[in-house]
Amino acid sequence: MSPAPPPSSSNPPLIELREAVKTYVSAAGSFTALKGVSLTVQAGEFLGILGKSGAGKSTLLNMITGVDHLTSGEVIVQTNGRAVSVHELDENDLALWRGRTLGVIFQSFQLLPMLTLVQNVMLPMDLCGLYRPRESRQRALELLEMVELEDHAYKLPTFISGGQQQRVAIARALANDPPVIVADEPTGSLDSVTADNIFDLFERLVETGKTILMVTHDHGLMPRFSRYLRIADGELVTEEANA
Amino acid sequence: MRPRWRKVLSDLVDNIARTILVVSSIAVGVLAVGVIAGAYVIISNDMSAGYAASHPANIEIRMDDFDDDFLNAIQNFEGIANAEGRRVFGMRVRSVGGTQWTMLNIVAVQDFEEIEINQLTAIGETGALGKNEVIVDRDVLDKVDAQVGDVLEFQLSDGTIKRLQLVGTVRDPATNMDDFLAPPAAYITMSTLPALHQPENYNRVYAIVDSGQDDDTHIRAVATALKDKIEKSGHAVHSTWRSKTHEHPLAATVNAILGILMALGVLIVFLSSSLIANTLSALLNQHLRHIGVMKLVGARDRQIFGMYLALILSFSALALLIAVPLGGQGAYALARYTADEMSFSLQGYRIVPIALVIQIAIGLLVPLVAGFVPIINGSRVTVLKAISGNLVQGTGDQAEGGAKRESRLERLQLRFTQMLNRRGIQIPRPLLISLRNTFRRRGRLALTLFTLTMGGAIFISVFNVRVTLHDYINAIGNYFLADVTLDFDRPYRLNEVKQYAAQVPGVVTVEGWAFANAEILYPDGSTADNMSILAPPAESELVSPILVAGRWLHPDDKKKLAVSDAILDLFPDLRVGDNLTLRINRQDEAWQVVGIFKFVGSQRLLAYAPYEYISLDQNLANRAYSYYIVTERHDRPYQEMMAEKVDAFFRDNGFHLREAKPGLSTLDAAVESLDILVAFLLIMALLTATVGSMGLAGTMSMNVLERTREIGIMRAIGAVDREVMRMVIAEGMLIGLISWVLGALLSIPFTYLLATIVSLAVFSTPIEVIFTPTGFIIWMVLVVILSVLASALPARNAARLTIREVLAYE
Ligand SMILES: Nc1ncnc2c1ncn2[C@@H]1O[C@H](COP(=O)(O)OP(=O)(O)OP(=O)(O)O)[C@@H](O)[C@H]1O
Ligand SMILES: [Mg+2]
Repeated sequence: MSPAPPPSSSNPPLIELREAVKTYVSAAGSFTALKGVSLTVQAGEFLGILGKSGAGKSTLLNMITGVDHLTSGEVIVQTNGRAVSVHELDENDLALWRGRTLGVIFQSFQLLPMLTLVQNVMLPMDLCGLYRPRESRQRALELLEMVELEDHAYKLPTFISGGQQQRVAIARALANDPPVIVADEPTGSLDSVTADNIFDLFERLVETGKTILMVTHDHGLMPRFSRYLRIADGELVTEEANA
Repeated sequence: MRPRWRKVLSDLVDNIARTILVVSSIAVGVLAVGVIAGAYVIISNDMSAGYAASHPANIEIRMDDFDDDFLNAIQNFEGIANAEGRRVFGMRVRSVGGTQWTMLNIVAVQDFEEIEINQLTAIGETGALGKNEVIVDRDVLDKVDAQVGDVLEFQLSDGTIKRLQLVGTVRDPATNMDDFLAPPAAYITMSTLPALHQPENYNRVYAIVDSGQDDDTHIRAVATALKDKIEKSGHAVHSTWRSKTHEHPLAATVNAILGILMALGVLIVFLSSSLIANTLSALLNQHLRHIGVMKLVGARDRQIFGMYLALILSFSALALLIAVPLGGQGAYALARYTADEMSFSLQGYRIVPIALVIQIAIGLLVPLVAGFVPIINGSRVTVLKAISGNLVQGTGDQAEGGAKRESRLERLQLRFTQMLNRRGIQIPRPLLISLRNTFRRRGRLALTLFTLTMGGAIFISVFNVRVTLHDYINAIGNYFLADVTLDFDRPYRLNEVKQYAAQVPGVVTVEGWAFANAEILYPDGSTADNMSILAPPAESELVSPILVAGRWLHPDDKKKLAVSDAILDLFPDLRVGDNLTLRINRQDEAWQVVGIFKFVGSQRLLAYAPYEYISLDQNLANRAYSYYIVTERHDRPYQEMMAEKVDAFFRDNGFHLREAKPGLSTLDAAVESLDILVAFLLIMALLTATVGSMGLAGTMSMNVLERTREIGIMRAIGAVDREVMRMVIAEGMLIGLISWVLGALLSIPFTYLLATIVSLAVFSTPIEVIFTPTGFIIWMVLVVILSVLASALPARNAARLTIREVLAYE
C-alpha cells in the first residue's frame, strides 16, 4: 500500500481540455461555438464560467460532461487515478462514467415528476449500482437533510418550490458521491435570496473537497469563486484566480 | 422499490386511460385468436369424435320395402360388418289442441334400446320406447310446442288422426348430418307402424363396412356392390349415401368457416398491434425528456430498454390476465353453441393447451414486436437531444423530408381556404385548426386510418356477404317456387287433380311432376354417382333455373336432360351436347346433356328432364304422384294456410294424400344455418371495429395530450371550452369520415374475397356477389358516433385544463 500522493501542481490536472473545438452544423450553415479552448481544472477548485449569452458556456460544459461531442481536441478527466478521455467514450460508457464521476445540474430542474424527492435522489444510485438499495435510501435521506428538505422527502416535485427543486437536483447530483459537480446556471431562474442559499451550499461542498464548475451570469458572484473564466465568442478571454 | 421500477409502475398506473387502451388492444387480439383457436381444436376434435362414437353408418341406402330376411342377407354381404333396417317416412304432427302441423321424418326401428348404428343420444330421462309411444328429436319440442309426457297427434294419409305418447327426447348426431333441408325426426318401434297405417317393413339400410371405414374408395366399392345385389334381387334403390366413420360429414365446412374466422382473428391481432405501436411510440415520445434525465445521471441504453420492456411486459401480463380466462370460456362457449346447433356432444369443458400457448405467445410477442422500434429509438436517444432538442419534432418517423412536405400540405390548405374565402365560403376557424392538426402527425394518422378503415371494410363486407348468401339461398328457391306441394300415396290423373284443386279458393295453377332415379356410369361401366331426375312439365313455371350453359327443357326432348353443375366434379370436361350414360331401372342408356345449371343443397347432383318424356317412360302418362300448386299469394303464412286447406280438401274428397306442405319451408333450415355463420362474421366485424375505434380514441387523446400547451395558449387568448371541444371533436370526426370513405372502397374487394371464401366453404361453388347499402349506412352512423365518443373524452379533458396546468405541463 502506497500512501495517496499529496495534491501538488505536478499532479495531472483533474480536468483538462486541449484545443477543444465544437462546430455545429445545421441547415443554416455551420457555426463554431468553441474555437480551440484549452483549460485545466485542479481538484478542489470552485471554478466560475462567465460570458454573454451565446458565448459558448453551455457548450463548454457539455463537452466536459460528454452530453455533446467535440469536433476536435481532447477532454481528459482523472477518474479514480486513471485518465479518462471523455471524447473517446461511447454513449453507454459515457453515461455510466458521468453517473459515477460527475454531478450535473441544469437551470431547469430536470426532476422526474412521477418520483418522490427521495426517489429522485436515489435514481443515480440505482442506475450506477454503486450503492445497495437499502444504503441508497439512507444516503438519499441524508443528502436531502443536507439540503434541508428531509421534511419533504416523500413529496412529488410539483408540490415544492423552484428553489427547493433545485436543491433536490443538487442532492441528486451528489448521490453517487462524484468528485466533480458541473452546474449550468443553477441559480438562473431563482430569486436572489434563494440563489444565495444555493451558492452557500456549493461553497460548503467545495469545503468538503468537491470540485465545482459553475456557469453563471451573476457578476456579483465572481469574488466567491476560487477562480473564474470569461468566455466570448467561443474563446477564453480572461482567466483569473481569486486569492 | 427501486426508483426505476417505481417509475415503470407510475407509467403503468398514472395514465390509466392509456394503460386501459394498450391493455385492451392487446387483449382484444389475444381474445379473438384464443376463442377461435380453442373452439377450432375442441370442435374439430369432438365433432368427429362424437360422430364416430355414435357408430355412424358408412352406407345408407334408401330403397323400397324389405323384410328381416332381406336385412339378414345384407348383413351377410361381403364387406359389411353390421347393417340395420329402418322405416323412414314423412308425416305431419302436432300437439293435442295445436293448429299447426309440423312435418317430421318418422323413423321406425326394431328395438330402440338395441340401436347399434347411428346411435342416438338420450336427453334427460328418456325411458324405453314401447308400442304406440314416440321419442322425438329435441328440435321437435319447440316446433310442435310439446313436452315429454304430452300426447302428439299424427295425421294419417286418409286424414284420420292417431295419437302417440311422447316419452322422451334424443339427439341424433349422425343421420342426415349434411342435409340442411332434412326435417327433424321422431322415433317409433316397428310395432307402432300398423297404427300409422304403414307396413311393418323397412325402407332404409344403414350399414357399417368391416374394414376401411375411413376409406371412401373402399366404402364406395362396397356400396356399389351392395346396391347391385339389391337391385338384382328385384328391389329398387332410390339413393345411396356414404360417410367415413371418423370424419363428420360437415367437418370440412366447419373447419373452413373456423379458418375464415381465424383469418379475421389474425387480422385483429395485426390491427391491434398497429394500435400498440402507435400508443407506445407516443408514450416514448412523451418520455424523451425523462430518458434524457436518466441518461444524464448514469442510465445506459440497456437499462432504459429494460425499463420500457418491463412496461410492455406489464401491459402484456395485464392483457393476458384478462384475455386468457375469457378466451378459454369463449372458446368453449363457441364450441358448445356449434355443437348444439349441429347435434354433437362435447367431451366436456377443457383448456386447450395449444390455444393457451398461442394466446400467451401473441400476448407477449405482438406488443414486443410493435413496441420494439419505438423502444429502441427511445432508449438510443442522446441526452443532448432529450434535454435540449425540440422534443415534439424529434421522432424517428418524422423524417427529414417530412417537415418540407408538411409545409407544402399546409400551403395547400391555406390556398384552398383562401380560394373558398374569395367565393364567400368561410370555414370556421376551429375546423381549420382541426384540419391542420389532423395532418400534423402523418405516421400516427396513417396507422389510425388503417385500423379504422380495415374495421369498417370488414364490417361493411359482412353485411354484403350476408345479403349475397341470402340472395343465393333465394336463388335456390327458384327451384322450389311452388307454394304448396302435394304428395299422394298413389298416382292420380293430372286432369282429376287439377279439377279438384281448382275448387279450392286461392289456387292459381297446378303442375304434376314425375321423378326418376339414375346412376351415372363411367365409360367403363362402373357407377360414378347417383342422381335424382326431377321431371316437371317442360313449360313449368315453377322452376327458374340459373343456367350456366346450354338451354332448359323442351316438351319433345327425349333422353335429354339439364344437369346441375356438380356434375363437373365427376366429369370436368363435360360440355353441353355430350352424352352421359345413365342406368335407370337397371337399363343403361345414353342421355344427352342439353343444359347445365347452378344448384346447391343437400343433393347437389340433380337433373331435370321433361315430364312429358319421363312419365311415358314410367308408364305413368298423364298421371303423377307429386303435384305443385301456385297460390295467389306467396308469403309464408298464406302458404301454410293454403297447405292446410288443400290438405283438408283432398282428404275430404277421398284422395290418398300423404302430405301437403308449404313451399318455402324447406329453405328455412338453410337460412337459419347461414345466419349463424353471418352472426359469427358480424362478431368478428364488431371486434375489428372496436379495435379501430380504440385506435381512434388513442390517437385523439395522444393528439390532445401533445397539444396541451397549445390548447392552453388558445384558452389564454380567449377560446372558450366549447370551442376547444368542438375543435377536437371535429378532428375526430374528420378522421372517422376519411376512414369511412376508404373503408367503403376497400369493402368492395373484401366483399368479393369473403363471399368467395365463404361460398366455397359452404356451397363448394363461388356465387354471385350482391351489394347492399345497409352495411355502408350502418358503418357511417357507427363511425360518426364512435369518432365523437373517441374524441369527446380527450376533448373534455382538454377543455377542463386550466391555463396554469397547461403551462406547467411538461
Ligand atoms: N445545436 C446547436 N446548433 C447550432 N448552434 C448552436 C447549437 N447549440 C448552441 N449553438 C450556438 O452556439 C453558441 C453557443 O451556445 P451556448 O448554448 O453554449 O451559449 P451560452 O453561452 O450557454 O449562452 P446562454 O448564456 O444564453 O446560455 C450560440 O451562438 C448558439 O446559437
Ligand atoms: Mg447556456
